[in-house]
Amino acid sequence: MTIMETRKHGDASDGMIGGRQTRFEGQLKVTGAATYALEYPVEGLAHAVLVQSTIPAGQVVSIDTSKALEAPGVLLVLTPEDDLGLTTASDWHGNRPENQPYHPLPREVRFNGESIATVIAETREQAVEAAKLLDIVYAEAPSVASLDDPNAGEGKAVDMLNVAWGDAEAALAAAPVMIEAEYSTPREYHVAMEPHGLTVKWDGDQLTVWEPSQWSHGMARSYAEWFAIPYENVRLISPFIGGGFGSKGAALAYSAVAAFAARKLGRPVKLAVTRPQNFTSYGGRAATRQTIRLGATEDGVLQAIVHRGASETSTYADWPEQTGAATSILYKVENFSSQHRIVPVNTVTPGALRGPGKNPSAYGIECAMDELAWKLGMDPLDLRLKNYADRDYQSGKPWSTRRLREALMEGAEAFGWSKRSHQPRSMREGRTLIGWGIGCGTFPVIQAPSEAMIRILGNGRVEVVSGAIDMGQGTYTILAQTAADVFGVPVSQVDVKLGDSRLPGSAIAGGSMLAGSILGAVHKAATAARDELIGLALSDANSPLRDTGANTLTFGDGRISVSRGEGPSLTLPELMAALGRDELEIRRNTLPDGATAQEHHQAWTTMAKVRGPTMGDYSMHSWCAHFAEVRVDEDFGTVRVSRMVSAFDCGRLYNPRLVESQWRGGIIMGIGQALLEEGLVDQRNGRMMNSNVGDYLVPTNSDIPDIQVISVGVPDFNASALGGKGVGEVGIVGVAPAIANAVFHATGKRVRDLPITLEKLI
Amino acid sequence: MRDFSYFRASSVDEARNAVLQAGGALLAGGTTLLDLAKCGVAEPATVVDITHLSGLGEINVDASSAVIGALARMGDVADHTQIRAAFPAVAESLSLAASAQLRNMATIGGNLLQRTRCPYFRDPATFPACNKRNPGSGCPAIGGVTRNHAVLGTSDACIATYPGDLAVALVAFDAFVDLGSRKVSVDDFFLLPGDTPDRETVLGRGEMIVGIGIPASAAARNSTYLKVRDRQSYEFAAASAAVGVELEADGKTVRDIRVALGGVATKPWRARAVEQALIGKALDVETVERASGLAMEGAVSHGGNRYKIELAPRVVARAILKMAQNVGGLA
Amino acid sequence: MTRTIHLSLDINGRRHELDVEPRVTLLDALREELALTGTKKGCDQGQCGACTCHVDGKRVLSCLTLAAQVEGRQITTIEGIAAENGDLHPVQAAFIENDAFQCGYCTPGQIMSAVACIREGHAGSDEEIREYMSGNLCRCGAYNSIVAAVREAAEAVR
Repeated sequence: MTIMETRKHGDASDGMIGGRQTRFEGQLKVTGAATYALEYPVEGLAHAVLVQSTIPAGQVVSIDTSKALEAPGVLLVLTPEDDLGLTTASDWHGNRPENQPYHPLPREVRFNGESIATVIAETREQAVEAAKLLDIVYAEAPSVASLDDPNAGEGKAVDMLNVAWGDAEAALAAAPVMIEAEYSTPREYHVAMEPHGLTVKWDGDQLTVWEPSQWSHGMARSYAEWFAIPYENVRLISPFIGGGFGSKGAALAYSAVAAFAARKLGRPVKLAVTRPQNFTSYGGRAATRQTIRLGATEDGVLQAIVHRGASETSTYADWPEQTGAATSILYKVENFSSQHRIVPVNTVTPGALRGPGKNPSAYGIECAMDELAWKLGMDPLDLRLKNYADRDYQSGKPWSTRRLREALMEGAEAFGWSKRSHQPRSMREGRTLIGWGIGCGTFPVIQAPSEAMIRILGNGRVEVVSGAIDMGQGTYTILAQTAADVFGVPVSQVDVKLGDSRLPGSAIAGGSMLAGSILGAVHKAATAARDELIGLALSDANSPLRDTGANTLTFGDGRISVSRGEGPSLTLPELMAALGRDELEIRRNTLPDGATAQEHHQAWTTMAKVRGPTMGDYSMHSWCAHFAEVRVDEDFGTVRVSRMVSAFDCGRLYNPRLVESQWRGGIIMGIGQALLEEGLVDQRNGRMMNSNVGDYLVPTNSDIPDIQVISVGVPDFNASALGGKGVGEVGIVGVAPAIANAVFHATGKRVRDLPITLEKLI
Repeated sequence: MRDFSYFRASSVDEARNAVLQAGGALLAGGTTLLDLAKCGVAEPATVVDITHLSGLGEINVDASSAVIGALARMGDVADHTQIRAAFPAVAESLSLAASAQLRNMATIGGNLLQRTRCPYFRDPATFPACNKRNPGSGCPAIGGVTRNHAVLGTSDACIATYPGDLAVALVAFDAFVDLGSRKVSVDDFFLLPGDTPDRETVLGRGEMIVGIGIPASAAARNSTYLKVRDRQSYEFAAASAAVGVELEADGKTVRDIRVALGGVATKPWRARAVEQALIGKALDVETVERASGLAMEGAVSHGGNRYKIELAPRVVARAILKMAQNVGGLA
Repeated sequence: MTRTIHLSLDINGRRHELDVEPRVTLLDALREELALTGTKKGCDQGQCGACTCHVDGKRVLSCLTLAAQVEGRQITTIEGIAAENGDLHPVQAAFIENDAFQCGYCTPGQIMSAVACIREGHAGSDEEIREYMSGNLCRCGAYNSIVAAVREAAEAVR
């Protein structure tokens, strides 16, 4: 068991892969010198603001812009009247309709809060005020406000999400013990601290975009396609991103509008999406509901799982929030059936938010397991261990690595689970009820190719260059560690350049796929560069190492030497000088050999080359087990999480210090999901009524206890070249059910709809 | 924000005169005015900055009362040793409000005048109708998302909750607002919405809060402010209570008790029925809980806020019991 | 342009001259006019704390402060708390050491808030730190490390 004790860094080993190196870009972030998208000094900026619809559905009949155009400083107003001349871009998978016009300011309103106009002025203040002067006439059409709207209907089945094996209904009917329950989750939002927005600038047909991005190459592609310019003409710059959590992986309607305005005005444009506008400019996690039926023997052996789920989507695109995604994989069960439907309503299309699919899915199955344990009179930990999945019953494949048992055992040990009394309401301090709960989580290993460049300079500095991004996961740091490791130099001798679509291609920072992908490419490039250096050092006439008779060299402690430790040893700059080189540059990718240029482009700008967790010989996933203690005020219904222990199997950790931070971050977001977060929709007009961070509540510092995180993983070299599995997504998965189960244990009340707010407990 | 002119007042009279001009608005801490100007709710033509006026930020506490200047910052009052000793509920109401940053900015006068968090009120672009903003236009909150709306003091015209904490503590202890030319009790200072929810206080044109006064009392000395909310911190109240208790010399019988509620009413809400039911009584759990229920006399729910009718009496009861225990008077 | 006023602001010990509309907030003046972009805009509504800076040594929200209002006051931003020679403020160092941030966007506000929290004497216990740092939201969830950093820096300063 490895409990991550905080210890001082400074150890040489901290700079190696697996070391606890502090955040590479830390100094920039604590001094305010890290530059985010809206902070670049660009001469001659004009400022754009969005105007959003105030009806849920219908037509924009007209927009009278005359008053706005007369307002001080106003340069341009764009409305659905304006044909921007854009073409629809590809979706994530690279599919693109032929010559379909794109109207980012649509005449047809599809949800309340959709952007329908833009005002551009000399200053932001002027644009904001002029925007209020638009006289908009709508023709409203009937609408469906949300999943709860009586007119929402049953929606449509998503066939590819129908999963079944065995005979679930029959096994359920025959099972001696059965539970059935319905669970629901509301709309939830990313609330990255940096609001969305961008600065755009044209130089002829060259477009520069400063925009927070989880995927510089994929987003650059959208701009190129919208404006019908070569991909190479677009440069998207995003070295720092103020949080994304899934929201910053695509160029959005307002991005196209800002870029168009900049071209039309012939000057750079900055568009800042306001905090309230962030809630409808892109989708958060869809609202979901699911019914779960579990059948078991008297002694707690699962016989069947029947799952029926549904999630909200928009009227114009299908986004399934897969409520069955974790249901099929957490337990051993011979009879299984899961179906998922999507229900179109008048909302912005939902999107990926930390732990997509797995998160609401785990909420359902992990609460249902707790309900089953209660009905059986079993300890919830024992029930989970009893039904431990020895393989992936859906794909039939063996696990690559699955240390969920160790996570459960070691988490339970650290938490003190064995002292738990079975009976709800059995622990209290005065009017405060105390309860303990478990929730398990999982997230698939998703693999993708990446490319990277290593440049060794004459002064001995090692540059790692990639278009990958760092939104706080630690890309800068672990890439620096990788290069430092390969070249045997301190991290301080490494430079890392990221976040620019002109740099070598990279997977998206999403689906927990980036670290495994980019580290593979960087390691490959660095190793190749080292091999090239060795070759030169052993063969170049001017190299002091040529005549040592060695057939390889060792890189360590900042020096290059003969492996046996005898003979000359040189520092990198000394070797470069001896070789007469001021630069050595190597570029490598992890595509199959012989990939064409088109395949390269496709690999970095679409999801076409992404591989799912069961596409190889194994079923590959990260795993976790959360243990939560809650304190519930019996009179007020307020729930506070007072203790949390979580154990993870994420394979090898490239930097435990940073991994712990990400795990805690996911857990904290899960605490918010369990207790606070809920988009409130006015059922009369589909308006989101708490679109600000004073009303859409995310946890504050005082809502969060000390969280103990434990790693139980082992390297998984099927999952990635260096043995890691995904870290970022899995942390949130299973937190909400752990808390919901703890609330049941505290109060005896089972709350099946998130968030667990006080009115549900009084 | 609408374009406005900025005027820095150098005296109270100058401020009063400036604000009499059309569209004049006083700027103190700015935490309400600028927030509402950004929402498009406030559209001042002239902002009259009074933060540089001297003499209005004093805090004076003696045996008979506390007198606090309108420009004293929330944080300074919350941390003031004598206020904490003589009026703990007042100090606590301030500490539990907003964040440390906002408490450093917001003034006592401005705090009283903060406006409702009703999301319909705050979104004029989507909801042009709102009787507070546009008298007679209707109330979009009724029938809408009402989780945070009031259950007490509402009318058919408005169900917006008064959001503040300080005023709740003040109304419990018979504090008054000093308008320079007159003094008005806090209870009278705030108006029920009735048919005119646009009129929230008795503040007249050209009037300005120059300070507040709080009479000292044994009940104020033994007082607390209990605030219940979803988050542990940095949130408006789901329900709150300011309570002070004084016992007779027998150490049992209630001589004086003050109860006021926040987060549940359209104005800071003094619960006199609860007080009346407990004066002359000895305090035990059952008596207190029964009396606390009287706080909800006349309460009306609008769907999402129904829980407040359950919750608020429990908050009141907890606060009373705590204060009773504090002076050894809990049977 | 509409009406502008001339302001002379004392920021990080330096005088800055600027012409802005009266409605311009301190936050926008810093970010848009003075290239002091370390102060962040997270909500522009006084709800997140990302724009925290100091006025006359006290932490305030620059999004709800007019630039005009603080003429004559001493303004300190994240760019102004390290030593002249570049040595980090103990709070900045503690944030790096404790990994008290991920994306870094709330970080300047957290640090400005933490410096004030310690100065105010509100860093006496973890519970007190949590409460007095609760006006600074962090969506990456670095709260545990922020508390540790503030605790450590408070001890260093003491």
